[in-house]
Amino acid sequence: MQVNKKETLRYLGYKGQDIDAKLETLIEEASKELEISINPKSVHKEFSCNVIDETTVLLGPIKITSKNLAKNLKGCDSAIIFAATIGSSVDTLIKRYSITNLAKASVIQAAGAALIETFCDSLEDSIRLDATKRDLYLRPRFSPGYGDLSLEHQREIFNILECSKRIGLSLTDTCLMVPSKSVTAIIGLSKIKNNCLKQKCTTCSSTQCEYRDA
Amino acid sequence: MTKFIDKLGTKMLFFDGAMGTILQSKGLQPGEIPELWNMTHTDTILEIHKSYLAAGCDIIKANTFGANPFKMKDTGYSCEEIVSKGIEIAKEAVLQSKKDAYVALDIGSVGKLLKPLGELEFEDAYEAFKVICVAGEKAGADLILIETVSDTYEIKAAVLAAKENTKLPIIVTMIFDEGGKLLTGADIFAATAMLEGLRVDAIGFNCGLGPVQMQKLLPELHRVCSLPIVMNPNAGLPVVVDGQTMFNVNPEEFALVMKEIALSGASILGGCCGTTPEHIKATIELCKDIKPLEVMDKGLSVISSYSHAVELNNRPKIIGERINPTGKSRFKQALRDNDLEYILKEALAQQDNGAHILDVNVGLPEIDEVSMMERTITGIQSIIDLPLQIDTSDITAMEKAMRIYNGKPLINSVNGKQESMNAVFPLVAKYGGMVVCLTLDETGIPETAQGRIDIAKKIVSEASKYGISKKDLVMDTLAMTISTGQENSDITLDALDYIRHKMEIHTVLGVSNISFGLPQRENINTAFFTIALARGLSAGIINPGSEAMMNAYNAYCAINGSDEQCIGYINRYSAVAQQTSNIKQSGQVSLFDAVVKGLSESAYTAAKELLKKKEPLTLIDEDLIPALDKVGQGFENKTLFLPQLLMSAEAAKAGFDAIKEVLAKKGTTSSSKGTIIVATVKGDIHDIGKNIVKVLLENYSFHVIDLGKDVSPELIVETALEHNVKLIGLSALMTTTVANMEITIKQIKTAIPDCKVMVGGAVLTQTYADMIGADFYSKDAMGSIRYANELFEV
Repeated sequence: MQVNKKETLRYLGYKGQDIDAKLETLIEEASKELEISINPKSVHKEFSCNVIDETTVLLGPIKITSKNLAKNLKGCDSAIIFAATIGSSVDTLIKRYSITNLAKASVIQAAGAALIETFCDSLEDSIRLDATKRDLYLRPRFSPGYGDLSLEHQREIFNILECSKRIGLSLTDTCLMVPSKSVTAIIGLSKIKNNCLKQKCTTCSSTQCEYRDA
Repeated sequence: MTKFIDKLGTKMLFFDGAMGTILQSKGLQPGEIPELWNMTHTDTILEIHKSYLAAGCDIIKANTFGANPFKMKDTGYSCEEIVSKGIEIAKEAVLQSKKDAYVALDIGSVGKLLKPLGELEFEDAYEAFKVICVAGEKAGADLILIETVSDTYEIKAAVLAAKENTKLPIIVTMIFDEGGKLLTGADIFAATAMLEGLRVDAIGFNCGLGPVQMQKLLPELHRVCSLPIVMNPNAGLPVVVDGQTMFNVNPEEFALVMKEIALSGASILGGCCGTTPEHIKATIELCKDIKPLEVMDKGLSVISSYSHAVELNNRPKIIGERINPTGKSRFKQALRDNDLEYILKEALAQQDNGAHILDVNVGLPEIDEVSMMERTITGIQSIIDLPLQIDTSDITAMEKAMRIYNGKPLINSVNGKQESMNAVFPLVAKYGGMVVCLTLDETGIPETAQGRIDIAKKIVSEASKYGISKKDLVMDTLAMTISTGQENSDITLDALDYIRHKMEIHTVLGVSNISFGLPQRENINTAFFTIALARGLSAGIINPGSEAMMNAYNAYCAINGSDEQCIGYINRYSAVAQQTSNIKQSGQVSLFDAVVKGLSESAYTAAKELLKKKEPLTLIDEDLIPALDKVGQGFENKTLFLPQLLMSAEAAKAGFDAIKEVLAKKGTTSSSKGTIIVATVKGDIHDIGKNIVKVLLENYSFHVIDLGKDVSPELIVETALEHNVKLIGLSALMTTTVANMEITIKQIKTAIPDCKVMVGGAVLTQTYADMIGADFYSKDAMGSIRYANELFEV
């Protein structure tokens, strides 16, 4: 898996500034170092999905209160919950370069963020492939922390996916994921082909965000 | 009934198969806690055990895998209750089946990652495992199985808890991926080295892989492992069919591969996810009459880190000596100041220079060596994957370090004095490790090679009383300076040669002692090092920063053939010409330009040059600060972005390093504009933003106390009071931890009403910052500089 440079720059707050050879090399080196060290792993399971009302979703054994998620999953009879991580090497590298080369640490942090997104995209592609065989279409993936979907739901997701056992992903008491470059998300499976475009930043309410991808 | 431990490795033994996946087929819901079925579905659990016993297995795993204090917290049951009940049901099943079978207390991961990767303290993990082990033994378990674990550090906590609190045999099976790595990065050799050091009774793999994939990893385990081997694979790799996870290797296919596995050296077989009594039955039928391969001591001399093992063998190893305060005033100062960063930089530099092992000595009479040793080991292991040599004469510090070390360490040192052996060997027997043995005793250092050899023999014999074999000893025949007697070199080397070749024990030397008292010591050191290598030196304790020594080493490895086809040598030296020309290019830039362009080396050189004619303070005011201001403005105007700002910050830091050196020579330190605390709040473990702010503040001459991440409000308040701090910077990344930021601010404001608090972090906004009572919201790194400068009226 390769680091997406454009995304890496976006996470670094890049707005078209000149990049000299030295910085170019730094980005290249950091990306390479990260690429050879990562250990991507993922787990996903499918659950029945029942949008009870405008704010309540039943997802397998989990009851979730979230207007945004209910809207996202409306009309889906089932949904995939997945967890993915690129492993702990990125955190170690960030720590290491925070001591010797802070600029490199910041690039690795951004490249790691870009990598986990790329990994999630490829995972989504394989889920899509499987869904297509069953004439199902994917809704945009939705993660705890998006909109009004509380981070607290991470606990249930971690339980039902057995994240710690399956992919070595653990959760702190404050619902932070370790390793840090990890994602959990819900993807609705719909019988109708609508509202299924990739959305990412476009539907986020935080329009002033520094890192918004227009 | 024969004791379990006596059967181990002498006849084929069979574990049962899966519990969890069978429970799912019987109605266990996703997310439901399987161990609670001990209470609610006792009969179902009993029946599953009985079906495995009927299939013929020798060991059943009690339904206690996830029964730990963390997971049981809100279930209404205590961990002890669930564990006891689990063992009780399993024992009842054995009783009812009238079979000659054993019950394993089954222990899985507690589900939280340990520090430094995660947030769980090593000793808290230990305490959790202790609860489980004590309850399991009390309820009558015959052995302890630690399984499906993927972090060597957590495994170490579990094994120590089992060893220190029970008398039960211990089996550990780990979850490796197809590449032969644990999730936290350890390879098979490293994990095995640590576990053999901890004296567990059998080692193996479970879960994660099917029998076919596991079989591929077996040769490596068999190559390095001197214990009986366990293989409990899944019924194949998971496949998703219609959204459901399945394991679909059938019992016959499973058994066929298991038979091959048995023939290649595993003597304890069973199954994990997706396996059923039918899988186990088929396996037993095919394998029960196989005579296990004899368990052989592989005789490897090995130490390990959390990622890889380092073996002492025909290829000599470099032990970096730089983490040691002896004769280094800057290092001593770092120890007094608790300046871990300085020590970590030394460690990183040695790794970059080619060290294989790092010696860690932080002993200074006026500091608390035990806690400093603990912090240093943990600090190094959070960023560097080299095995460490724990170097101390303080037995308490040695034990603490061995306990919290993630891997199998090298210990420096024991010697032939009875007192020393009495103190050190029990620790090696308990925690594992190789140990450096100094060939001296109560009578001093013998002046003949024979005298030193005799002490070596005495040490070997004493070590064997503790079950420590010579593969875990490495003899130091003590290099003494030739300036007091030129025969010293021969005495050392003759003893070394004999010990390595006749006694077949590895050797080590603190090489540079040979030249003490002579000028241009490197000349002597290099020659002696080469001769010692040729005579059988297994590892040299040297300064890897010495190019001459590393050249001698690399040349030797090319000559003795341990550097195959001279590849290491060629890789290292064919690029040298190019590097030199790069260095020449830098150095002609002005300090101002070097900082603006983010050129650290040039900034350092330029500052050194300027300091010959300028006072440090003038240089800061006329060159460094204006350059930083220019970069800061560029960042705020968006003509520069973050990595550029940081490259400049690093370059400025290099300039300040040059100043600090000049000031240190004059015996003064740089003045500070004021003291600021920075911390990532409790519960939050993301600290890169905080680290950036810290470096920038330091560049602007603030004294920064960095309390790190996951910092309690109490510690922040305490530190602020102690140092009379007027500004505190807090960072938090997530909505869940901003709550802790609010609590922290409240406590600060209550205790020190006039102390200002600035905040920053991904989810924060001005509105949020106002709401939680912060004095200033910094939207980026430069914001905090502006605020601090205003506050301290510069």
